[in-house]
Amino acid sequence: MTQTTAATPPAVSTPPTARRRRPRRRGNAARTYLILMALAVLFAGPFVWLVLAALKTKAEWVTIPANILPEDPQWGNFTQALTEINFLAYLGNSAFLSFVFATLVTLSSAAVGFAFARLRGRGKRPLFVLVLSTMMLPQILTLIPTYVLFARVGLVNTYWPWVMWGLAASPFLVFLFRQFFAAIPASLEEAAIIDGCGYGRIFVQIFLPLSRPVLLTSFVLSFTWTWGDWIAPALFLDPDQTTLSVAIASLYVDPHGNPDATVQAAAATLYVVPVLVIFLFAQRYFIRGVVSSGLKG
Amino acid sequence: MTTKGTRRRRKGWQRYSSRTFYLFASPWLLGFALLTALPLGYALAISFTNFDGRSPRWRWVGLRNYTELFDDADVLASMVRTLAFTAIAVPIMVAGGLGLAVLLNQRLKAVGLFRAIFFLPSVVPMVAAAIMWKLIFNRDVGILNEILDVISIPPVTWLVDPNAFYALVILILWGLGGGMVIMLAALQGVPAELEEAAIIDGANRWQVFRNVTVPMISPVIFFQVVTGVIFTFQIVIQPLLLSQTREVGQVTHVPESTHLFMVQVYEEYFANNRYGYASAMLWVFFLVILVVTLIVLRSSRLWVHYEVDSEADR
Repeated sequence: MTQTTAATPPAVSTPPTARRRRPRRRGNAARTYLILMALAVLFAGPFVWLVLAALKTKAEWVTIPANILPEDPQWGNFTQALTEINFLAYLGNSAFLSFVFATLVTLSSAAVGFAFARLRGRGKRPLFVLVLSTMMLPQILTLIPTYVLFARVGLVNTYWPWVMWGLAASPFLVFLFRQFFAAIPASLEEAAIIDGCGYGRIFVQIFLPLSRPVLLTSFVLSFTWTWGDWIAPALFLDPDQTTLSVAIASLYVDPHGNPDATVQAAAATLYVVPVLVIFLFAQRYFIRGVVSSGLKG
Repeated sequence: MTTKGTRRRRKGWQRYSSRTFYLFASPWLLGFALLTALPLGYALAISFTNFDGRSPRWRWVGLRNYTELFDDADVLASMVRTLAFTAIAVPIMVAGGLGLAVLLNQRLKAVGLFRAIFFLPSVVPMVAAAIMWKLIFNRDVGILNEILDVISIPPVTWLVDPNAFYALVILILWGLGGGMVIMLAALQGVPAELEEAAIIDGANRWQVFRNVTVPMISPVIFFQVVTGVIFTFQIVIQPLLLSQTREVGQVTHVPESTHLFMVQVYEEYFANNRYGYASAMLWVFFLVILVVTLIVLRSSRLWVHYEVDSEADR
């Protein structure tokens, strides 16, 4: 357990009293682990309970007192989840919308971030303040009137709104790109300008290739936004055109109209798995995205 | 090379640069105009009418929607409920995020694993989160009542009044890991020398935390409180998804105790078809957000720390 002694303050500058503290710190570490594990159970519990519910028979799900573990894991719930509704079609809609939105919003936000980081223009400062302020604006505030407006011009029940939201750039991602681009040394583009390079080529050939990690962060974040979004597809899309999130929330009912808990749990499991997988592989990109917005002040 | 020539060339370059700035910024400029300003302006316009969403026979009613909503007992009750929800959820959210961050800001084994476990719920899609918690909150077969039964507490009907309020608080708090990673990054930005110096001066760990660490990260804490307040003010999707009904998303089935302000707005739009009235409520809410944002921007000079500003903002 050498790690515990190395915690704040580093050994070099530790005052003599620190030696006396060592045994106590070890006890602290054990206590910290106990707290952490108890909390981990609380945070991971809902996932575990979901998967367990997905593996139970309907009868087993309603027995009181409940079995914690399913007696005979019902893998058939998953096949039923896939076949009871047109799961794959909704999955396709979700994947398509998420991909289109994430690609467009990443490129447009990169361009806008480049403008705010690297270019000079009249009114740039107030415009940037406006970008920062719109970050504070809850999405629902503009979403509802957008729906009312789009319903009148026939844009409802098409995928065009997602294309437009993608092209419009996200203030949050603009900020992410702007911070990254602003930290790149100016000498790079100066050399390119002397060589007769315009800003278009500087952006595409120098800045975009350099920003691969931020591009990935942006893509991962915006993909999961759309994948997890419920309210926009619920408002804008008809039931047959909608995404997996809307379908899962409302379509799993038995012939009597009651929610079919175990099959819905299986469907929800299938629906979160891509998010979990992306998260496991791209954890640091998620965290970078969240942190950069929260620390901006 | 004459100075005149360089000046002219510099001027031309400036014009080119400025034009390029607007070219590159145009996606956001157009997007802001068409997808933020226009819908909000449209909502403002219909907030002065009795528009019902489809009928072409509407008329101007002036400020009547606005005067009505401040007399509407349901609206006022939803405002009070939202304030109560914010007053309960935001302090726990911020303090909890900070507490987890402090726990993880130590050199322990498997810190990465714990951080992942705490953070993960904040990226789980809301639909999935609602399904998970409905399984837990189920009155008859939910694990929560099962656990309460062990310590002989009678079953609680979590998803109806008045307990739905607390169920919603729990669902929201489950996602506090997003704030945690921000706090963690802030804690890691506190110079170790400062804390060491305080320890050498004889401060104990709590004193160091209180008097050194917290003041150092206070801008981040402040920002977390502000975004937390705005976040809880706008909650509408979670109550819709958490309501225990056959048809999910039916606003009329949302229990009264989770009928927050935006749920009320949603109901006026889509259940009562009172688009004009609902738009007036939406605008009242927008003005509140605007005031909060202005206060933050005004006070930001006191606490914002731009790391890379000087070069980029010229």
